[in-house]
Amino acid sequence: MSGNVGGGGAGGGSHSLAFRVMRLCRPSLHVETPLKFDPADLLVGEDLFDDPTAADRLPSLLSSLSHSSDSSSPDLNFRSRFLLPDPSDATGLSGLLVLPQSFGAIYLGETFCSYISINNSSSFEVRDVVIKAEIQTERQRVLLLDTTKTPVETIRAGGRYDFIVEHDVKELGAHTLVCTALYNDGDGERKYLPQFFKFIVANPISVRTKVRVVKDLTFLEACIENHTKANLFMDQVEFQPAQHWRATVLAADKHHAENKLSSDAEIFKPPILIRSGGGIHNFLYLLKSFSQESKQTRIEGSNILGKLQITWRTNLGEPGRLQTQQILGSLYYSVLFANSVPTRCQKAGMPSYRHTGFLCKVSGEGLNKEDALEYSDRLHLGTIISHFAPHIIPKPWPVPRKEIDLQVVKIPQVIVLHKPFEVQLSLANQTDRTLGPFEIWFSGDANGERAFMVNGLQTMALPEVRAFSSSDLNMNLIATKVGVQKITGITVFDSVEKKTYEPLPELEIFVDSD
Amino acid sequence: MESSPEREPPATVEGGDAGSDAGSADSQNVDVLISDEVAALQELALRGSWRTIIEKVSQARSFSLLRYPHEHLVYLTFNAIALTKLRRFTEAMEDIESSVENLDSPSYRYEAFPNIYPNRKGSMVPFSLRWIHALLPTFLKSPDSLDRLYLLLNFVRSRIDAEKDDDSSSRGRVWRRREELVIGTIISIHSSQKEFGVCLNLLRYLLNRDRHNPYLLSKLGYVQLQFGDLDEARISFNLAEKLILEKKESSVEDLNLVGRNKALLYMVGKDYVSSIREYDQCIERDASDAVAINNKALCLMYLRDLTDSIKVLENSLERVPTAALNEMLVVNLCSILFNSSIFLLTLYDYYNEHFHGIQRISDCGICGVEYAKF
Repeated sequence: MSGNVGGGGAGGGSHSLAFRVMRLCRPSLHVETPLKFDPADLLVGEDLFDDPTAADRLPSLLSSLSHSSDSSSPDLNFRSRFLLPDPSDATGLSGLLVLPQSFGAIYLGETFCSYISINNSSSFEVRDVVIKAEIQTERQRVLLLDTTKTPVETIRAGGRYDFIVEHDVKELGAHTLVCTALYNDGDGERKYLPQFFKFIVANPISVRTKVRVVKDLTFLEACIENHTKANLFMDQVEFQPAQHWRATVLAADKHHAENKLSSDAEIFKPPILIRSGGGIHNFLYLLKSFSQESKQTRIEGSNILGKLQITWRTNLGEPGRLQTQQILGSLYYSVLFANSVPTRCQKAGMPSYRHTGFLCKVSGEGLNKEDALEYSDRLHLGTIISHFAPHIIPKPWPVPRKEIDLQVVKIPQVIVLHKPFEVQLSLANQTDRTLGPFEIWFSGDANGERAFMVNGLQTMALPEVRAFSSSDLNMNLIATKVGVQKITGITVFDSVEKKTYEPLPELEIFVDSD
Repeated sequence: MESSPEREPPATVEGGDAGSDAGSADSQNVDVLISDEVAALQELALRGSWRTIIEKVSQARSFSLLRYPHEHLVYLTFNAIALTKLRRFTEAMEDIESSVENLDSPSYRYEAFPNIYPNRKGSMVPFSLRWIHALLPTFLKSPDSLDRLYLLLNFVRSRIDAEKDDDSSSRGRVWRRREELVIGTIISIHSSQKEFGVCLNLLRYLLNRDRHNPYLLSKLGYVQLQFGDLDEARISFNLAEKLILEKKESSVEDLNLVGRNKALLYMVGKDYVSSIREYDQCIERDASDAVAINNKALCLMYLRDLTDSIKVLENSLERVPTAALNEMLVVNLCSILFNSSIFLLTLYDYYNEHFHGIQRISDCGICGVEYAKF
């Protein structure tokens, strides 16, 4: 019940000494609803105070009844265990502390603290006790205590020697606290007592990051998930940017805090508390690169954005600290363009900029299609993007090289629900022969989930396109749903070669309400 | 039992109006409503004599000694409280459920008995009966308490809005106090379930109405400490301290609150020595401050001073047993003793409120440490 861990491995023969280990993390504040009463709620009906005469006389009557006529020692009367002094006491928060009642779970990033007691249960004195305590893991041994230089001279019969050890937990998996005592027992025999206390260290949190680029702004979204059995208070979550980057945290709540009355804000800042067993919290950072070059050029290969440093706390401020590995930007690109024409792009984190006649290679690391699709569900990011650049979302470079390529040339800044808008596309023939003529339509909408309609001819015709050249076409669409939506299913059919292409799997747009 | 007199004898204090017959009660005579018997039950409760209360109620019921309808409800309430104090939760619940079907029934209003209570209107249900009925499921490990308490809160709020009374009317004060009581109870349950966000919101509601309450601010600080927001807890405690120091006269209770809060902050910063110093001052001001005693013992433990830690707790159980007899204090003592390899023989009935003095049982003689059976 006191969080003791049974040790194993005592040496042969009986020992006078034994170790007892108690985990000594911080205590907790005890909560208990008090069973205490106000006589006005107990001795009379609840509505008695409606009667003004009664209301006048009751208070003194009740208080006289509450004074015990017992004149013996004030402590022996139970008044304080029955009468509720103040309604705030009903909260059961008396400030009473309780020691940890069980060993509990130990997590990476925490500090393992333990009270170790070595007890002499024999009827004889033991002398010259050399005590050692160390933590052993797969990778290393860390010495926590060693009295070799100053052995404990004596522990009398029934006596005790106590010590407290601390160890910052930096490894996962099995750990063993090894306590050893080398001593002279009652018979003068030199004895060796090893005891082992095993525990496992688990991962308290997992961090998932997503990087998204909008024009020259990089957004980093970090999702922290709590795997522990306790609620974690996020004391500090800091993004430490790498060289040439600067980070600002974006928090939706700032706005609200400014509107509060100053006295409220004094007392109440909403804390970031992540629920135990799977709760999550998202953090959003805006990263700006401030290298010498203008936004039109970037440094090749510098895709390290920085690290997240996380400090959390549990009961009474018990801290835990972790740092993520370097977070990589999805941008690894070299772009050189003069008149960049921003184009509509698709997949998150993979921008492409079209230059007249020169398409830049872009590759992303560690992202997949699912990430991109998930993004539009994140309200945070969708809202932010609408403020900055509604028509810019990165798109993947088509690899391997396709025969035809469809690019978005122009799309309106603002798209309003139920109002027609025009999308200008350009179909490029990347082969060395003439292709087409083509028919272009939107493929079937089996689930009826489509967020747009074609305004006009359902099938558009495009004449032949010569080798290595392109041809423009306009599509007139109407958006039927508000918010971040996808235009999907553009199908291009070569009517001569009878080949079907789906060159533009999806296009993201932002639709305003009218 | 003795037969009850025809005339209601005058109850305590208020001289003047003598008791009147049950048959023609003077509606202005409040004394009728707190009879001697009820006052006696209160006296027993103040002494913690729960078993006696249960006996008295049982006899009153068997011999139909109760004369007034409202007395049945008061006796029921005392019975339920006594059973709960003795941890006989199922019996308490059963007694309430078998005695009253619906506390809002018109038969529990004065108007239902115009002969006995002429000119009196309203519900005769003691508020504590509603409260304990709402709280009992928690003791029975059922999740119903929160539902019942939130419903009770609505009930209380409807009584406040109904007549637009302000804090200056005693009626208004009574119902506002009850609102705070119910919210406080709700906070205690959410707290024990670690739902701190809700607790913060509820405390904010209470503080908005009562900004200068250092006790409420301290509760806020405890919640913040419990989930680890040390900075905000410090702010809450500092505000509470400021309010108390600004008072013209601070009571011992006030000063000890400030002292204990300071000690908690020292402890959180691992400055156990300063923490003990604060607790010592509290104990000097009030030797029965069980929280200070308990927490001081814990500080000694963190300072590796097991012996003194045990001494502090054991002394308190001897000197001020009623105050110190707190389950968690005993649990802490057991934790510390167990850790020091002293084999425990103690059996204690924490909830046996009949306290007849300490008996000492020596242990196996390992360390010569003795502890109490109580």
